[in-house]
Amino acid sequence: MVDRTLDTLKAIGQRLSNSTRLVDYYWQRTKRNKLAIFGLAFIVFLILLAVIGPFFTTDPTATNFDEIELPPVGFTTQQSTYNIRTEQLTTKEISGTWTHPLGTDSKGSDMMAMIVSGARVSLLVGLIATGIAIILGTIIGVLSAYLGGWADNALMRFTDVMMTFPFFLLLVLIVFIFGPSLAIIVLVIGLTGWTGAARMIRSESLSLRTREFVVASKALGARDTRVVFRHLIPNVASLIIVMATLSIPGVILAEAALSFIGLGDPTKSSWGIILQSGWHTIESAWWVAVEPGIMLFLTVLAFNFLGDGLRDAFDPKSNV
Amino acid sequence: MGKSWLRDYIVKRLLYAVIIAWGILTITFILVRVGPSSPADKYLANIAARGGDPAQVTAAVEARYGLDKPIYVQYFNYLGNLFRGNWGWSFSTSMPVIELIKTHWIYSFQLILLSSIFAAVLGILIGIYSAVKQYTKTDYAFTFMSFIGISIPTFWLGIMLILVFSVKLGLFKTYYDTSLPLFSLDNLKALILPVITLGTGMLAGYVRYTRSAMLDNLKKAFVTTARAKGLPERTVIGKHVFRNALLPLVTIIMFDLGSIVFGGAYLTEIIFGIPGLGQISFNAIFANDYPVVVAVTLIGTFMVLLVNLATDISYTYLDPRIRYG
Repeated sequence: MVDRTLDTLKAIGQRLSNSTRLVDYYWQRTKRNKLAIFGLAFIVFLILLAVIGPFFTTDPTATNFDEIELPPVGFTTQQSTYNIRTEQLTTKEISGTWTHPLGTDSKGSDMMAMIVSGARVSLLVGLIATGIAIILGTIIGVLSAYLGGWADNALMRFTDVMMTFPFFLLLVLIVFIFGPSLAIIVLVIGLTGWTGAARMIRSESLSLRTREFVVASKALGARDTRVVFRHLIPNVASLIIVMATLSIPGVILAEAALSFIGLGDPTKSSWGIILQSGWHTIESAWWVAVEPGIMLFLTVLAFNFLGDGLRDAFDPKSNV
Repeated sequence: MGKSWLRDYIVKRLLYAVIIAWGILTITFILVRVGPSSPADKYLANIAARGGDPAQVTAAVEARYGLDKPIYVQYFNYLGNLFRGNWGWSFSTSMPVIELIKTHWIYSFQLILLSSIFAAVLGILIGIYSAVKQYTKTDYAFTFMSFIGISIPTFWLGIMLILVFSVKLGLFKTYYDTSLPLFSLDNLKALILPVITLGTGMLAGYVRYTRSAMLDNLKKAFVTTARAKGLPERTVIGKHVFRNALLPLVTIIMFDLGSIVFGGAYLTEIIFGIPGLGQISFNAIFANDYPVVVAVTLIGTFMVLLVNLATDISYTYLDPRIRYG
């Protein structure tokens, strides 16, 4: 099995990189799309932020009740405090400081540190859950197309049932039943998000199955596993890459939305969790809700730009 | 004559829908049964505090809910109860779940209906315009804006709208007023921000789909023919190109209902405090009120199932060429 997996990876790699000209060609086509390059740059920045960022920021869980709801640098707000002993309400103007460039939340935690650690959570969820979903989708799609007959029928009817569930409502139900931990959220998104990929890969594989090189390889006595791993999967690789890129933003948003309605992992400061706490303090500290939202928005936008650019680059019919 | 294939087709789709519905109910049953919590959980803390025996309580509650019976009996009881309209008891609101849903569905319905109309009308118009003016500055601007529209998180957009228009500018209330009569201008005004919140993502999607469906058809030979025989451009675009672009569009719009609209409506209701099904499910999550959370998921899923069925049947009218065996 390990051998076969390596073989498949190599075949995919060869399809993309054995001829450096092919990689060059795709790169040239992607590069022409300015928005895709912006997307790629932002994703690289985000990965760097998630990997090495936490070493440069303070502890995101540290609270400091002397410095609650400090605005970001360049902004000032009115903050009222009530002194119990003198029974006086004092309102003072406070401005953001460079100690907390993005301000602090209602517990005095540093927003910068929270955003950076949130990037780590969101990216991990996005990448792992999409990975699970795409692998499952590929297996089910290819199996369905290759086996045909009743197996195909059964797998596709099961896919239909799963597709009828509104994705978010199903997530809410399962996470509610099994309890909110990051592992469960990732697993559930991965195990429910494969349907679109399975259908698309099935229809692509169905048309590949009748192509000359597959028929020829069978006529030469290749075993089923070889045909699947050597010919079918490498040829749907570009489709898989595009689908993975385009489904990552959906996964990141799903995790954020779950956190937002209180089904997030309370031990991880994901962007959704920060947003939820910012929502409750929207009138006194708007930045707590605005900042993680901007990060979510830019991340989703970047993956959409890149995915769209890749799709055009891989599509031989489009002239970019 | 002629239409008998249509009847056969509808019967076939109905049977198919029943099978899918059975699959949905079965998966939901399995999920709830393998889940770690039991309906006895909510009594345990109370009983333990009074020095009662937790094992005894669990056994009593499980007997009350029929959970001590063999699994297949439980399964048939569950299916039977659902069909008889016995959807369980919501202890956090002290009423049958079915009553709870009857009083609240209308709020979700009005939100989803208005948002869909807003998004579809505007989205299709912009999409057609963008396709006809392909590669102009307006087209690029619309395309870029549609990218922003599909990327903006629904719940964040809602919060931002409240922040700007309600908190800072004071144009709207920060919370939906449930005392307003449903069919009134005030109610419509209260729904403006929620409809924009839910509608923006859909709108952006429809712009993209309409544009690409129109572009696919604009290059076809029959369009050149229509132009060559001197038809006015309006007729060419409206009757020839758009009519053919409609079918893939309907598919996408209906598909959106399941994947985007219900999730978006759920979040939009929570943010604006609209007492629809999303809101009652949200409250039930915090109260650990099991039957309500399950019921809302089932209702949403059955809505998608019905809409899919309606879409399949409406195809035969939208595209008279389609003949299903």
